[in-house]
Amino acid sequence: MERSRRRRRLLGGALAGGLAGVVTGAVLASAAPAVHEQGEPDIAPTAIIDAAHVPPLLTLPGEPVTLRYAIVCPGGGADPFESACDASGDVHVRPGTTGPFTRLPLRRTADSLDGRYAVDLPSAVARSPDGFSYYAVLSNDAAGVSMTVPAGGPAAPQRSLPLARPVVVRLGRHRFGAVRAADARVVDAPWGSRIGEVGLDGPPGGLEVGPSAFDVAPDGGIVVLDGVNSRLERWADGRVSAVRADVDGAVDDLALAPDGTVYVADGRGRPPLIRHLGRDGRLLDAAPLPERTWSQLRLGPDGPTAQVEPSEQWVPAAPAVPRAEKVSSGRAGRRLADGSDVVVLRTGTGELRVARVVDGRVRTGWQILSDTPLGEVQIAEQVGRRMVVVVKAYSDTADEFVALVLDGQGLVGQFALRSSEWAASAPLARFRLTGHSLYQLGSTPSGAFVDRYDLEVAR
Amino acid sequence: MKIPFLTFAIAIFAVSAGGAGAGNFWASCNYATAQANQSLTRDGAQTYSYTAAYEGYQWGGGCWNNNDVDEGWGDPPQDVNTHGEGADCSGLVFKTWKESENTSNGGLYYWNPIRNVHGPYTAASFRDGVGAPNGLISKAVAGVMDGFASGTHVGLIFFRGSGGWDQIIEAKCESCGTNIMSETYRSQSAYGGIRRIGWTG
Repeated sequence: MERSRRRRRLLGGALAGGLAGVVTGAVLASAAPAVHEQGEPDIAPTAIIDAAHVPPLLTLPGEPVTLRYAIVCPGGGADPFESACDASGDVHVRPGTTGPFTRLPLRRTADSLDGRYAVDLPSAVARSPDGFSYYAVLSNDAAGVSMTVPAGGPAAPQRSLPLARPVVVRLGRHRFGAVRAADARVVDAPWGSRIGEVGLDGPPGGLEVGPSAFDVAPDGGIVVLDGVNSRLERWADGRVSAVRADVDGAVDDLALAPDGTVYVADGRGRPPLIRHLGRDGRLLDAAPLPERTWSQLRLGPDGPTAQVEPSEQWVPAAPAVPRAEKVSSGRAGRRLADGSDVVVLRTGTGELRVARVVDGRVRTGWQILSDTPLGEVQIAEQVGRRMVVVVKAYSDTADEFVALVLDGQGLVGQFALRSSEWAASAPLARFRLTGHSLYQLGSTPSGAFVDRYDLEVAR
Repeated sequence: MKIPFLTFAIAIFAVSAGGAGAGNFWASCNYATAQANQSLTRDGAQTYSYTAAYEGYQWGGGCWNNNDVDEGWGDPPQDVNTHGEGADCSGLVFKTWKESENTSNGGLYYWNPIRNVHGPYTAASFRDGVGAPNGLISKAVAGVMDGFASGTHVGLIFFRGSGGWDQIIEAKCESCGTNIMSETYRSQSAYGGIRRIGWTG
């Protein structure tokens, strides 16, 4: 009897508590949209200012130079995106790298296909034997806000160099289908989450994201950024290991430091973050890049370096470097181990310009011409006295990578590689060059792999 | 005493967290009528798409505010019912290109970013040029606010990059969000070139 009363009391208490919880929860839930509406305030679209620009990093003799900018800012009215915004800007330019800048106002053109705002450089500047340097101050006049591109302004302006006597390499029309077989498959990882597998993620019928980047140690060991599984996997001496890492499934880039730690460029942040992770995957340090977008992350002689947009400059990427130093250190080329820089410009439909720059002057330059459209330059690395370039050749229905070995006289070696881009990765993380071997990260419906191609570049 | 408290807590969780959903951003969106427009400039579209950047990704979604915070971050992917912030890839293109929900209508319609609309197109239908406003172009000549589409993804050119890649504005994935990212879609054979018909400048 007593036990039955106790059971009734317990049941009654549970029902009363549950009923009170349902009512309270419903009140909280109905309040939730109001909380959203009162969240962080919207940024007034009128205050937006951003820009885009492709610097003419390498110019040919006699080539006229027009600088074009897209200025991103809204117009007025009920639809602030109906027409071009009320913008203006000035380019500050000078021959070479010293002396005062001359201010040239941008003119507004009728078409925004390649940027609405433009200025033609005077021929005395465009044809200077020392090249020219410049920066732009761009304004959203309606809101009274402006920005400087590059962020370092006169302290680190854009740099354009003349390719006075380039080595001309004519590739002709690319013949798709004649690809070279790899010398070795050094990573062969099915999709999955176990050790030795790599993660694959995406919405049903949507973009599949796989391992986003990799890098190669001097001894040939491979580190793969397996963001879907939040880990770093290492292949070395025929064994695979993995450590949990502070990364997510976004499409991040990666650079491996000599001490085995790694730097990771964040694929989603504003501004993007560079994370420094220990060998055990733990976060050692993190700091934002100085501009809104990165295209590639590499390890240079002074630490990690990233190419960033809208400036397209290479900047120091180590989290410990203060932002002011990052923006004042921007440069047109990527610093190589011997202190020279490599500068790359893909222009037109099928033209690629590459230069090795020593003490601010082009030591060796190449103008590579293709009858087949050329896509992105995946790598441009010096190996001994030669330059190894991997660039994509494409049509509207086919694509292959092309590896070129160049010296001061021209093309000394060339082969094609299958593109193998079934799953998404970071854009310029598909190749790494270590020693005399070229490594490629690829993927298929069954998994990801890293192939090795040995180069004959010993001379 | 413990049991009523326990059931109270469980009920609150079930109704508020579970029922409302941590990512119920759609409650903040509206369903206003689109405004007919006369003008479609590439840089106007560029700026419109810019408001979607940093606002998240929602599969099947199409509304966002402009506070640079993804209020649906961490939603379980592959589920339209999470009602998080942001568009998916094809929803972003549909709104940026000012398209009609009627596929035979090639006119211009402004959709406020907070208007919840995805539109009738998938990435594959953009790739195939389905619908009156949608055309195909050779990838080599694609410029600002033209796009690249595959069977699984579509993005718009924000600007070219110096090394042959493109800055693409895209709603890419739950972990990636919506952002301006450097991409190599131009050279990938899985992607075709697409263009909104009727740019006015």
